[in-house]
Amino acid sequence: MGTAAQGEARSRAWRLWITSGPGLFWIVLFLLIPSGVMLGIAFFTNSDFGSPVLPLSLDSFSQVAGYGILGWSGANFTVLLRSLLQAGVATSVTILLAYPLVFFIVTRPANMRPVLLLFAIVPSWTNQVVRTYAWMELLNPFAPVSHVAQVLGIIPPHLGLMPGDFAVLVGLSYNYLPYMVVPLYAAAEKLDWTLVEAGRDLYASGAKLFFNTVFPQTLPGLLSGIILVGIPAFGDYVVPQLLGGDKAMMLGSLIADQFTFSPDWPYGAALTLIMLAFTCIGLIVFRRLTQRLGGGEGAML
Amino acid sequence: MNAVPRRIQRVLAGISLPVYLLLYAPLSVIAIFSFAPSLGHPGPNVAAYGMLLNDPEVLAALRRSLTLAIGSAVLGTMLGTLMGFGLSRFRPAKGGGFWVGTLPSLIIYLPIIMPSLVFGISELIFFNFVHEYTGLLSAGLLTMGIAHVTFQAPYVALVVYARLAGLDPNLFEASQDLYANAVKSFVFLTIPVVRPALIGGFLLAITLSIDDFTISFFTAGPGSVTLPIYIYSAIARKGSSPEINALGSLMIATVIGVALLYYFVTRHRERSNRIPAVA
Repeated sequence: MGTAAQGEARSRAWRLWITSGPGLFWIVLFLLIPSGVMLGIAFFTNSDFGSPVLPLSLDSFSQVAGYGILGWSGANFTVLLRSLLQAGVATSVTILLAYPLVFFIVTRPANMRPVLLLFAIVPSWTNQVVRTYAWMELLNPFAPVSHVAQVLGIIPPHLGLMPGDFAVLVGLSYNYLPYMVVPLYAAAEKLDWTLVEAGRDLYASGAKLFFNTVFPQTLPGLLSGIILVGIPAFGDYVVPQLLGGDKAMMLGSLIADQFTFSPDWPYGAALTLIMLAFTCIGLIVFRRLTQRLGGGEGAML
Repeated sequence: MNAVPRRIQRVLAGISLPVYLLLYAPLSVIAIFSFAPSLGHPGPNVAAYGMLLNDPEVLAALRRSLTLAIGSAVLGTMLGTLMGFGLSRFRPAKGGGFWVGTLPSLIIYLPIIMPSLVFGISELIFFNFVHEYTGLLSAGLLTMGIAHVTFQAPYVALVVYARLAGLDPNLFEASQDLYANAVKSFVFLTIPVVRPALIGGFLLAITLSIDDFTISFFTAGPGSVTLPIYIYSAIARKGSSPEINALGSLMIATVIGVALLYYFVTRHRERSNRIPAVA
Protein backbone atom coordinates (compact mmCIF):
# COMPACT_ATOMS: atom_id res chain seq x y z
CA MET A 1 0.00 0.00 0.00
CA GLY A 2 2.68 2.45 1.05
CA THR A 3 4.63 1.98 -2.16
CA ALA A 4 1.53 2.35 -4.30
CA ALA A 5 0.68 5.64 -2.62
CA GLN A 6 4.27 6.75 -2.97
CA GLY A 7 4.26 5.83 -6.65
CA GLU A 8 1.05 7.76 -7.11
CA ALA A 9 2.54 10.81 -5.40
CA ARG A 10 5.70 10.52 -7.47
CA SER A 11 3.80 10.33 -10.74
CA ARG A 12 1.76 13.38 -9.70
CA ALA A 13 4.92 15.31 -8.90
CA TRP A 14 6.42 14.26 -12.22
CA ARG A 15 3.32 15.45 -14.11
CA LEU A 16 3.40 18.71 -12.18
CA TRP A 17 6.94 19.44 -13.35
CA ILE A 18 6.26 18.32 -16.94
CA THR A 19 3.37 20.78 -17.25
CA SER A 20 4.34 23.70 -15.01
CA GLY A 21 8.09 23.22 -15.30
CA PRO A 22 8.73 25.00 -18.60
CA GLY A 23 6.84 28.14 -17.60
CA LEU A 24 8.36 28.27 -14.12
CA PHE A 25 11.82 27.67 -15.58
CA TRP A 26 11.27 30.51 -18.06
CA ILE A 27 10.38 32.95 -15.28
CA VAL A 28 13.31 31.84 -13.13
CA LEU A 29 15.77 32.12 -16.02
CA PHE A 30 14.51 35.38 -17.48
CA LEU A 31 13.36 37.26 -14.39
CA LEU A 32 14.43 35.74 -11.06
CA ILE A 33 18.08 35.29 -12.07
CA PRO A 34 18.29 38.68 -13.84
CA SER A 35 16.87 40.49 -10.81
CA GLY A 36 19.33 38.60 -8.62
CA VAL A 37 22.17 39.72 -10.87
CA MET A 38 20.88 43.27 -10.73
CA LEU A 39 20.78 43.28 -6.93
CA GLY A 40 24.26 41.74 -6.79
CA ILE A 41 25.59 44.61 -8.89
CA ALA A 42 24.71 47.00 -6.07
CA PHE A 43 27.68 45.62 -4.13
CA PHE A 44 30.25 46.24 -6.87
CA THR A 45 32.32 49.33 -7.59
CA ASN A 46 31.46 51.71 -10.40
CA SER A 47 33.93 51.89 -13.31
CA ASP A 48 34.54 54.94 -15.49
CA PHE A 49 32.06 53.58 -18.03
CA GLY A 50 29.30 52.97 -15.52
CA SER A 51 29.63 49.19 -15.55
CA PRO A 52 30.29 47.27 -12.33
CA VAL A 53 33.83 46.14 -11.47
CA LEU A 54 35.54 44.57 -8.46
CA PRO A 55 36.30 45.15 -5.61
CA LEU A 56 33.06 44.66 -3.71
CA SER A 57 32.02 47.74 -1.79
CA LEU A 58 29.12 49.50 -0.16
CA ASP A 59 29.90 52.82 -1.89
CA SER A 60 26.70 52.66 -3.89
CA PHE A 61 24.67 52.59 -0.68
CA SER A 62 26.37 55.63 0.77
CA GLN A 63 25.61 57.30 -2.56
CA VAL A 64 21.95 56.34 -2.07
CA ALA A 65 22.06 57.85 1.42
CA GLY A 66 23.21 61.09 -0.16
CA TYR A 67 27.00 61.10 0.33
CA GLY A 68 28.93 62.17 -2.76
CA ILE A 69 32.16 63.95 -3.69
CA LEU A 70 30.49 67.22 -2.79
CA GLY A 71 29.45 66.06 0.68
CA TRP A 72 25.97 65.14 1.87
CA SER A 73 22.82 66.08 0.01
CA GLY A 74 19.21 65.34 0.86
CA ALA A 75 18.12 65.12 -2.78
CA ASN A 76 17.63 61.35 -2.75
CA PHE A 77 15.51 61.49 0.40
CA THR A 78 13.38 64.15 -1.24
CA VAL A 79 12.89 61.94 -4.29
CA LEU A 80 11.98 58.92 -2.16
CA LEU A 81 9.62 60.95 -0.01
CA ARG A 82 7.99 62.49 -3.08
CA SER A 83 7.47 59.03 -4.62
CA LEU A 84 5.84 57.71 -1.46
CA LEU A 85 3.69 60.83 -1.15
CA GLN A 86 2.61 60.83 -4.80
CA ALA A 87 1.73 57.12 -4.63
CA GLY A 88 -0.21 57.66 -1.39
CA VAL A 89 -2.14 60.69 -2.62
CA ALA A 90 -2.85 59.11 -6.02
CA THR A 91 -4.17 55.99 -4.27
CA SER A 92 -6.45 58.15 -2.08
CA VAL A 93 -7.75 59.99 -5.13
CA THR A 94 -8.59 56.72 -6.87
CA ILE A 95 -10.39 55.51 -3.73
CA LEU A 96 -12.45 58.70 -3.52
CA LEU A 97 -13.42 58.46 -7.19
CA ALA A 98 -13.86 54.68 -7.34
CA TYR A 99 -16.35 54.31 -4.44
CA PRO A 100 -19.08 56.53 -5.93
CA LEU A 101 -18.41 55.15 -9.41
CA VAL A 102 -18.63 51.52 -8.30
CA PHE A 103 -21.79 52.07 -6.27
CA PHE A 104 -23.30 54.02 -9.13
CA ILE A 105 -22.69 50.97 -11.35
CA VAL A 106 -24.00 48.33 -8.90
CA THR A 107 -27.19 50.29 -8.32
CA ARG A 108 -28.02 50.28 -12.05
CA PRO A 109 -30.18 47.52 -13.59
CA ALA A 110 -28.23 44.25 -13.97
CA ASN A 111 -28.09 44.38 -17.78
CA MET A 112 -26.47 47.83 -17.79
CA ARG A 113 -23.73 47.03 -15.30
CA PRO A 114 -21.26 45.17 -17.55
CA VAL A 115 -21.22 47.92 -20.15
CA LEU A 116 -20.86 50.68 -17.54
CA LEU A 117 -17.95 48.80 -15.99
CA LEU A 118 -16.41 48.23 -19.41
CA PHE A 119 -16.55 51.96 -20.15
CA ALA A 120 -14.70 52.66 -16.91
CA ILE A 121 -11.95 50.21 -17.88
CA VAL A 122 -11.49 50.73 -21.61
CA PRO A 123 -9.19 53.77 -21.26
CA SER A 124 -6.74 51.57 -19.36
CA TRP A 125 -6.44 49.32 -22.39
CA THR A 126 -4.76 52.04 -24.43
CA ASN A 127 -1.00 52.28 -24.20
CA GLN A 128 0.31 54.10 -21.14
CA VAL A 129 2.40 56.43 -23.27
CA VAL A 130 -0.65 57.51 -25.28
CA ARG A 131 -2.70 58.00 -22.11
CA THR A 132 0.00 60.12 -20.50
CA TYR A 133 0.65 62.04 -23.69
CA ALA A 134 -3.06 62.94 -23.71
CA TRP A 135 -2.61 64.71 -20.37
CA MET A 136 0.41 66.56 -21.75
CA GLU A 137 -1.88 67.94 -24.46
CA LEU A 138 -4.50 68.85 -21.86
CA LEU A 139 -2.27 70.47 -19.22
CA ASN A 140 0.48 72.18 -21.23
CA PRO A 141 0.91 75.96 -20.89
CA PHE A 142 -0.92 76.67 -24.16
CA ALA A 143 -3.93 74.46 -23.46
CA PRO A 144 -7.27 76.02 -22.46
CA VAL A 145 -7.18 74.31 -19.04
CA SER A 146 -3.92 76.03 -18.14
CA HIS A 147 -5.35 79.30 -19.46
CA VAL A 148 -8.35 79.03 -17.13
CA ALA A 149 -6.01 78.27 -14.21
CA GLN A 150 -3.92 81.34 -15.11
CA VAL A 151 -6.97 83.60 -15.24
CA LEU A 152 -8.21 82.25 -11.91
CA GLY A 153 -4.80 82.93 -10.42
CA ILE A 154 -4.15 79.31 -9.46
CA ILE A 155 -0.87 79.35 -11.37
CA PRO A 156 1.32 82.29 -12.44
CA PRO A 157 0.80 83.57 -15.99
CA HIS A 158 2.83 81.90 -18.78
CA LEU A 159 3.19 78.71 -16.75
CA GLY A 160 1.24 75.55 -17.45
CA LEU A 161 -0.20 72.95 -15.12
CA MET A 162 2.64 70.77 -16.36
CA PRO A 163 5.41 69.86 -15.86
CA GLY A 164 5.19 69.48 -12.11
CA ASP A 165 3.91 67.52 -9.13
CA PHE A 166 0.28 68.33 -9.87
CA ALA A 167 0.48 66.93 -13.40
CA VAL A 168 2.18 63.77 -12.10
CA LEU A 169 -0.57 63.29 -9.52
CA VAL A 170 -3.25 63.72 -12.18
CA GLY A 171 -1.45 61.32 -14.52
CA LEU A 172 -0.98 58.63 -11.86
CA SER A 173 -4.58 58.85 -10.64
CA TYR A 174 -5.89 58.67 -14.21
CA ASN A 175 -3.64 55.75 -15.11
CA TYR A 176 -4.48 53.59 -12.13
CA LEU A 177 -8.15 54.44 -11.43
CA PRO A 178 -9.41 51.28 -13.21
CA TYR A 179 -7.11 49.15 -11.02
CA MET A 180 -9.11 50.42 -8.01
CA VAL A 181 -12.49 50.15 -9.74
CA VAL A 182 -12.20 46.46 -10.68
CA PRO A 183 -11.49 44.90 -7.23
CA LEU A 184 -13.93 47.30 -5.53
CA TYR A 185 -16.61 46.36 -8.05
CA ALA A 186 -15.98 42.66 -7.44
CA ALA A 187 -16.56 43.26 -3.71
CA ALA A 188 -19.51 45.62 -4.14
CA GLU A 189 -21.32 43.30 -6.52
CA LYS A 190 -21.42 40.54 -3.89
CA LEU A 191 -22.54 42.97 -1.19
CA ASP A 192 -25.13 41.60 1.23
CA TRP A 193 -27.72 44.40 1.18
CA THR A 194 -29.81 42.80 3.92
CA LEU A 195 -27.11 43.97 6.36
CA VAL A 196 -27.64 47.53 5.15
CA GLU A 197 -31.38 47.23 5.67
CA ALA A 198 -30.84 45.72 9.10
CA GLY A 199 -28.66 48.73 9.92
CA ARG A 200 -31.37 51.04 8.72
CA ASP A 201 -33.95 49.23 10.83
CA LEU A 202 -31.72 50.01 13.78
CA TYR A 203 -31.95 53.71 12.83
CA ALA A 204 -28.39 54.04 11.59
CA SER A 205 -27.99 56.43 8.70
CA GLY A 206 -25.52 58.37 6.60
CA ALA A 207 -21.85 57.86 7.32
CA LYS A 208 -22.56 55.58 10.27
CA LEU A 209 -24.62 53.23 8.13
CA PHE A 210 -21.96 53.23 5.42
CA PHE A 211 -19.02 52.56 7.71
CA ASN A 212 -20.81 49.85 9.70
CA THR A 213 -22.51 47.91 6.92
CA VAL A 214 -21.09 48.70 3.46
CA PHE A 215 -17.48 49.54 4.16
CA PRO A 216 -16.48 46.33 6.01
CA GLN A 217 -17.87 44.24 3.16
CA THR A 218 -15.87 46.12 0.54
CA LEU A 219 -12.68 46.16 2.62
CA PRO A 220 -11.04 43.11 0.94
CA GLY A 221 -11.62 44.72 -2.48
CA LEU A 222 -10.31 48.04 -1.20
CA LEU A 223 -7.13 46.41 0.11
CA SER A 224 -6.50 44.65 -3.23
CA GLY A 225 -7.10 47.97 -4.96
CA ILE A 226 -4.60 49.78 -2.73
CA ILE A 227 -1.96 47.17 -3.66
CA LEU A 228 -2.81 47.31 -7.35
CA VAL A 229 -2.65 51.12 -7.44
CA GLY A 230 -0.07 51.99 -4.79
CA ILE A 231 2.74 49.69 -5.88
CA PRO A 232 2.83 50.52 -9.60
CA ALA A 233 2.22 54.21 -8.89
CA PHE A 234 5.20 54.27 -6.52
CA GLY A 235 7.47 52.69 -9.14
CA ASP A 236 6.01 54.40 -12.20
CA TYR A 237 8.38 55.62 -14.87
CA VAL A 238 6.36 56.97 -17.80
CA VAL A 239 4.14 59.45 -15.93
CA PRO A 240 6.83 61.33 -13.94
CA GLN A 241 9.08 61.24 -16.97
CA LEU A 242 6.55 62.87 -19.31
CA LEU A 243 4.54 65.03 -16.90
CA GLY A 244 7.00 65.68 -14.09
CA GLY A 245 10.10 67.46 -15.27
CA ASP A 246 13.22 67.86 -13.16
CA LYS A 247 11.53 69.37 -10.11
CA ALA A 248 9.02 66.55 -9.74
CA MET A 249 11.43 63.64 -10.15
CA MET A 250 10.36 60.30 -8.75
CA LEU A 251 12.36 57.23 -7.82
CA GLY A 252 11.69 55.52 -11.17
CA SER A 253 13.31 58.29 -13.21
CA LEU A 254 16.25 58.50 -10.81
CA ILE A 255 16.87 54.75 -11.25
CA ALA A 256 16.46 54.82 -15.01
CA ASP A 257 18.95 57.70 -15.31
CA GLN A 258 21.66 55.49 -13.78
CA PHE A 259 21.24 53.02 -16.62
CA THR A 260 20.78 55.44 -19.53
CA PHE A 261 22.04 59.04 -19.48
CA SER A 262 24.77 58.92 -16.85
CA PRO A 263 25.54 55.23 -16.38
CA ASP A 264 26.36 54.16 -12.84
CA TRP A 265 25.02 50.63 -12.55
CA PRO A 266 25.96 49.89 -8.91
CA TYR A 267 24.26 53.10 -7.74
CA GLY A 268 21.21 52.36 -9.89
CA ALA A 269 21.04 48.81 -8.55
CA ALA A 270 21.24 50.07 -4.96
CA LEU A 271 18.37 52.48 -5.66
CA THR A 272 16.40 49.59 -7.15
CA LEU A 273 16.98 47.64 -3.94
CA ILE A 274 15.35 50.53 -2.05
CA MET A 275 12.38 50.47 -4.42
CA LEU A 276 11.97 46.71 -4.01
CA ALA A 277 12.27 46.98 -0.23
CA PHE A 278 9.39 49.48 -0.06
CA THR A 279 7.35 47.37 -2.49
CA CYS A 280 7.83 44.27 -0.31
CA ILE A 281 6.98 46.12 2.90
CA GLY A 282 3.78 47.38 1.30
CA LEU A 283 2.85 43.91 0.06
CA ILE A 284 3.52 42.20 3.38
CA VAL A 285 1.61 44.77 5.42
CA PHE A 286 -1.46 44.58 3.20
CA ARG A 287 -1.30 40.79 2.97
CA ARG A 288 -1.29 40.57 6.76
CA LEU A 289 -4.25 42.95 6.93
CA THR A 290 -6.17 40.93 4.34
CA GLN A 291 -5.48 37.69 6.20
CA ARG A 292 -6.54 39.19 9.52
CA LEU A 293 -9.79 40.34 7.94
CA GLY A 294 -10.29 36.86 6.52
CA GLY A 295 -10.75 38.18 3.01
CA GLY A 296 -10.66 35.21 0.64
CA GLU A 297 -9.61 36.14 -2.90
CA GLY A 298 -11.46 33.35 -4.69
CA ALA A 299 -9.41 31.29 -7.09
CA MET A 300 -5.96 32.38 -6.08
CA LEU A 301 -3.01 30.14 -6.79
CA MET B 1 -31.42 48.32 -5.93
CA ASN B 2 -33.97 49.67 -3.48
CA ALA B 3 -31.52 49.54 -0.56
CA VAL B 4 -30.03 52.80 -1.78
CA PRO B 5 -32.32 55.80 -1.38
CA ARG B 6 -33.05 57.91 -4.43
CA ARG B 7 -31.26 60.93 -2.99
CA ILE B 8 -28.00 59.01 -2.60
CA GLN B 9 -28.40 57.45 -6.04
CA ARG B 10 -28.59 60.95 -7.45
CA VAL B 11 -25.42 61.95 -5.60
CA LEU B 12 -23.64 58.82 -6.93
CA ALA B 13 -24.69 59.65 -10.47
CA GLY B 14 -23.67 63.27 -9.95
CA ILE B 15 -20.14 62.19 -9.08
CA SER B 16 -19.85 59.30 -11.54
CA LEU B 17 -20.86 61.08 -14.73
CA PRO B 18 -18.05 63.67 -14.39
CA VAL B 19 -15.66 60.79 -13.65
CA TYR B 20 -16.67 59.13 -16.91
CA LEU B 21 -16.18 62.45 -18.69
CA LEU B 22 -12.76 62.78 -17.09
CA LEU B 23 -11.83 59.27 -18.26
CA TYR B 24 -12.53 60.14 -21.88
CA ALA B 25 -11.65 63.85 -21.96
CA PRO B 26 -7.90 63.41 -22.57
CA LEU B 27 -8.50 60.75 -25.20
CA SER B 28 -11.00 63.00 -27.01
CA VAL B 29 -8.56 65.89 -26.88
CA ILE B 30 -6.02 63.82 -28.81
CA ALA B 31 -8.64 62.92 -31.38
CA ILE B 32 -9.70 66.57 -31.82
CA PHE B 33 -6.12 67.83 -32.06
CA SER B 34 -5.34 65.25 -34.73
CA PHE B 35 -7.53 67.27 -37.11
CA ALA B 36 -5.94 70.59 -36.11
CA PRO B 37 -4.71 73.02 -38.75
CA SER B 38 -1.00 72.79 -39.46
CA LEU B 39 1.54 74.43 -41.74
CA GLY B 40 0.09 74.42 -45.26
CA HIS B 41 -3.19 72.91 -44.09
CA PRO B 42 -5.50 75.63 -42.76
CA GLY B 43 -8.76 74.60 -41.13
CA PRO B 44 -9.67 71.18 -39.80
CA ASN B 45 -8.10 68.50 -41.99
CA VAL B 46 -6.96 64.92 -42.17
CA ALA B 47 -3.47 65.68 -43.50
CA ALA B 48 -1.85 64.17 -40.40
CA TYR B 49 -3.45 60.81 -41.12
CA GLY B 50 -2.20 60.92 -44.70
CA MET B 51 1.32 61.67 -43.55
CA LEU B 52 1.11 58.85 -41.04
CA LEU B 53 0.04 56.23 -43.55
CA ASN B 54 2.88 57.22 -45.88
CA ASP B 55 5.54 57.24 -43.19
CA PRO B 56 7.66 54.08 -43.62
CA GLU B 57 9.01 54.45 -40.06
CA VAL B 58 5.51 54.33 -38.58
CA LEU B 59 4.48 51.39 -40.73
CA ALA B 60 7.63 49.48 -39.76
CA ALA B 61 6.95 50.22 -36.08
CA LEU B 62 3.37 48.98 -36.49
CA ARG B 63 4.59 45.77 -38.14
CA ARG B 64 7.08 45.21 -35.30
CA SER B 65 4.45 45.84 -32.63
CA LEU B 66 2.11 43.28 -34.19
CA THR B 67 4.86 40.70 -34.70
CA LEU B 68 5.95 41.14 -31.10
CA ALA B 69 2.42 40.98 -29.68
CA ILE B 70 1.28 37.91 -31.62
CA GLY B 71 4.57 36.02 -31.39
CA SER B 72 4.98 36.52 -27.66
CA ALA B 73 1.28 35.86 -26.99
CA VAL B 74 1.45 32.45 -28.72
CA LEU B 75 4.36 31.27 -26.58
CA GLY B 76 3.10 33.05 -23.45
CA THR B 77 -0.31 31.39 -23.80
CA MET B 78 1.26 27.95 -24.26
CA LEU B 79 3.54 28.23 -21.23
CA GLY B 80 0.84 29.92 -19.15
CA THR B 81 -1.85 27.36 -19.97
CA LEU B 82 0.44 24.46 -19.07
CA MET B 83 1.35 26.17 -15.80
CA GLY B 84 -2.25 26.91 -14.84
CA PHE B 85 -3.32 23.39 -15.79
CA GLY B 86 -0.46 21.64 -13.99
CA LEU B 87 -0.82 23.64 -10.79
CA SER B 88 -4.56 23.15 -10.56
CA ARG B 89 -4.48 19.41 -11.37
CA PHE B 90 -1.24 17.93 -10.03
CA ARG B 91 -0.44 19.96 -6.97
CA PRO B 92 -1.38 18.19 -3.72
CA ALA B 93 -4.62 19.64 -2.39
CA LYS B 94 -3.21 20.45 1.03
CA GLY B 95 0.06 22.31 1.31
CA GLY B 96 2.63 20.24 -0.52
CA GLY B 97 5.45 21.87 1.43
CA PHE B 98 7.56 24.77 0.31
CA TRP B 99 8.96 23.33 -2.93
CA VAL B 100 5.71 22.16 -4.45
CA GLY B 101 3.16 24.25 -2.56
CA THR B 102 4.58 27.72 -2.07
CA LEU B 103 7.49 28.19 -4.47
CA PRO B 104 5.56 27.83 -7.77
CA SER B 105 3.03 30.46 -6.63
CA LEU B 106 5.82 32.81 -5.59
CA ILE B 107 7.49 32.41 -8.99
CA ILE B 108 4.24 33.02 -10.86
CA TYR B 109 3.41 36.16 -8.87
CA LEU B 110 6.91 37.58 -9.25
CA PRO B 111 6.42 39.12 -12.74
CA ILE B 112 2.97 40.43 -11.75
CA ILE B 113 4.13 42.10 -8.55
CA MET B 114 7.52 43.42 -9.66
CA PRO B 115 7.44 47.11 -10.68
CA SER B 116 7.89 47.16 -14.47
CA LEU B 117 10.88 49.47 -14.21
CA VAL B 118 12.76 46.96 -12.04
CA PHE B 119 11.62 44.20 -14.41
CA GLY B 120 12.87 46.06 -17.49
CA ILE B 121 16.22 47.10 -16.05
CA SER B 122 16.93 43.59 -14.72
CA GLU B 123 16.36 42.23 -18.22
CA LEU B 124 18.51 45.00 -19.73
CA ILE B 125 21.45 44.05 -17.51
CA PHE B 126 20.93 40.32 -17.98
CA PHE B 127 20.74 40.46 -21.80
CA ASN B 128 23.72 42.78 -21.78
CA PHE B 129 25.82 40.25 -19.84
CA VAL B 130 24.60 37.29 -21.93
CA HIS B 131 25.47 39.15 -25.11
CA GLU B 132 28.86 40.19 -23.79
CA TYR B 133 29.89 36.65 -22.85
CA THR B 134 28.17 34.50 -25.48
CA GLY B 135 27.39 36.86 -28.37
CA LEU B 136 23.77 35.67 -28.28
CA LEU B 137 20.63 37.70 -27.62
CA SER B 138 21.60 41.15 -28.82
CA ALA B 139 18.92 43.67 -27.87
CA GLY B 140 16.07 43.62 -30.35
CA LEU B 141 12.66 42.11 -31.02
CA LEU B 142 13.85 38.74 -29.67
CA THR B 143 14.87 40.08 -26.25
CA MET B 144 11.65 42.13 -26.13
CA GLY B 145 9.70 38.99 -26.94
CA ILE B 146 11.42 37.01 -24.19
CA ALA B 147 10.54 39.74 -21.68
CA HIS B 148 6.93 39.92 -22.90
CA VAL B 149 6.46 36.14 -22.57
CA THR B 150 7.76 36.46 -19.01
CA PHE B 151 4.93 38.79 -17.99
CA GLN B 152 2.22 37.22 -20.20
CA ALA B 153 2.59 33.61 -19.04
CA PRO B 154 1.66 34.28 -15.37
CA TYR B 155 -1.50 36.19 -16.32
CA VAL B 156 -2.57 33.41 -18.68
CA ALA B 157 -1.81 30.86 -15.94
CA LEU B 158 -4.08 32.75 -13.51
CA VAL B 159 -6.93 32.90 -16.04
CA VAL B 160 -6.67 29.17 -16.84
CA TYR B 161 -6.25 28.28 -13.17
CA ALA B 162 -9.37 30.25 -12.22
CA ARG B 163 -11.34 28.42 -14.90
CA LEU B 164 -10.17 24.96 -13.82
CA ALA B 165 -10.59 25.74 -10.10
CA GLY B 166 -14.34 26.06 -10.61
CA LEU B 167 -14.52 22.61 -12.21
CA ASP B 168 -15.68 19.29 -10.77
CA PRO B 169 -12.55 17.12 -10.19
CA ASN B 170 -14.75 14.06 -10.81
CA LEU B 171 -14.67 14.91 -14.51
CA PHE B 172 -11.01 13.97 -14.64
CA GLU B 173 -11.61 10.81 -12.61
CA ALA B 174 -14.35 9.86 -15.04
CA SER B 175 -12.06 10.29 -18.03
CA GLN B 176 -9.52 8.03 -16.32
CA ASP B 177 -12.21 5.43 -15.63
CA LEU B 178 -12.94 5.47 -19.35
CA TYR B 179 -9.30 4.53 -19.99
CA ALA B 180 -8.20 7.89 -21.37
CA ASN B 181 -4.48 8.33 -20.86
CA ALA B 182 -2.96 11.62 -19.73
CA VAL B 183 -2.45 13.00 -23.25
CA LYS B 184 -5.91 11.95 -24.47
CA SER B 185 -7.57 13.41 -21.41
CA PHE B 186 -5.67 16.67 -21.94
CA VAL B 187 -6.65 16.91 -25.62
CA PHE B 188 -10.28 15.81 -25.38
CA LEU B 189 -11.25 17.05 -21.93
CA THR B 190 -8.97 19.79 -20.68
CA ILE B 191 -8.55 21.74 -23.90
CA PRO B 192 -12.30 22.00 -24.66
CA VAL B 193 -13.03 22.89 -21.05
CA VAL B 194 -10.42 25.64 -20.85
CA ARG B 195 -11.02 26.93 -24.39
CA PRO B 196 -12.78 30.14 -23.23
CA ALA B 197 -9.94 30.75 -20.78
CA LEU B 198 -7.44 29.94 -23.52
CA ILE B 199 -8.94 32.47 -25.92
CA GLY B 200 -9.36 35.01 -23.12
CA GLY B 201 -5.78 34.43 -22.00
CA PHE B 202 -4.43 34.83 -25.53
CA LEU B 203 -6.31 38.12 -26.03
CA LEU B 204 -5.14 39.30 -22.60
CA ALA B 205 -1.55 38.42 -23.57
CA ILE B 206 -1.83 40.48 -26.78
CA THR B 207 -3.33 43.41 -24.85
CA LEU B 208 -0.56 43.23 -22.24
CA SER B 209 2.09 43.24 -24.96
CA ILE B 210 0.61 46.21 -26.83
CA ASP B 211 -0.03 48.13 -23.62
CA ASP B 212 3.49 47.75 -22.28
CA PHE B 213 6.01 50.52 -22.67
CA THR B 214 8.50 50.42 -19.79
CA ILE B 215 9.69 46.83 -20.18
CA SER B 216 9.85 47.14 -23.98
CA PHE B 217 11.80 50.38 -23.71
CA PHE B 218 14.59 48.81 -21.67
CA THR B 219 14.82 45.58 -23.68
CA ALA B 220 14.62 47.18 -27.14
CA GLY B 221 17.57 47.64 -29.46
CA PRO B 222 18.22 50.32 -32.06
CA GLY B 223 16.46 48.30 -34.77
CA SER B 224 13.36 47.32 -32.82
CA VAL B 225 11.38 50.53 -32.42
CA THR B 226 7.75 49.57 -31.79
CA LEU B 227 4.78 51.96 -31.84
CA PRO B 228 4.87 52.99 -28.15
CA ILE B 229 8.63 53.55 -28.33
CA TYR B 230 8.22 55.51 -31.56
CA ILE B 231 5.63 57.77 -29.92
CA TYR B 232 7.69 58.21 -26.77
CA SER B 233 10.83 59.25 -28.61
CA ALA B 234 8.84 61.51 -30.93
CA ILE B 235 7.38 63.31 -27.89
CA ALA B 236 10.80 63.53 -26.27
CA ARG B 237 12.32 64.94 -29.48
CA LYS B 238 9.79 67.48 -30.68
CA GLY B 239 6.85 67.53 -28.28
CA SER B 240 3.35 67.18 -29.66
CA SER B 241 2.53 67.14 -33.34
CA PRO B 242 -0.63 66.46 -35.38
CA GLU B 243 0.99 63.27 -36.62
CA ILE B 244 1.48 61.88 -33.11
CA ASN B 245 -2.08 62.90 -32.26
CA ALA B 246 -3.31 61.03 -35.34
CA LEU B 247 -1.31 57.94 -34.38
CA GLY B 248 -2.59 58.10 -30.80
CA SER B 249 -6.18 58.50 -32.04
CA LEU B 250 -5.88 55.44 -34.27
CA MET B 251 -4.53 53.40 -31.35
CA ILE B 252 -7.35 54.60 -29.07
CA ALA B 253 -9.97 53.90 -31.75
CA THR B 254 -8.61 50.37 -32.22
CA VAL B 255 -8.82 49.65 -28.50
CA ILE B 256 -12.36 51.01 -28.19
CA GLY B 257 -13.37 49.03 -31.30
CA VAL B 258 -11.94 45.82 -29.85
CA ALA B 259 -13.62 46.52 -26.50
CA LEU B 260 -17.03 46.96 -28.16
CA LEU B 261 -16.48 43.80 -30.21
CA TYR B 262 -15.52 41.91 -27.04
CA TYR B 263 -18.65 43.20 -25.34
CA PHE B 264 -21.03 42.20 -28.12
CA VAL B 265 -19.41 38.79 -28.59
CA THR B 266 -19.43 37.86 -24.90
CA ARG B 267 -22.89 39.34 -24.30
CA HIS B 268 -24.46 36.75 -26.55
CA ARG B 269 -22.34 33.90 -25.30
CA GLU B 270 -22.75 34.24 -21.56
CA ARG B 271 -25.20 36.26 -19.57
CA SER B 272 -23.25 36.31 -16.34
CA ASN B 273 -21.67 39.58 -15.27
CA ARG B 274 -18.09 38.93 -16.13
CA ILE B 275 -15.54 41.35 -14.87
CA PRO B 276 -13.16 42.35 -17.65
CA ALA B 277 -9.50 42.43 -16.79
CA VAL B 278 -7.53 45.61 -16.38
CA ALA B 279 -4.41 45.72 -18.47
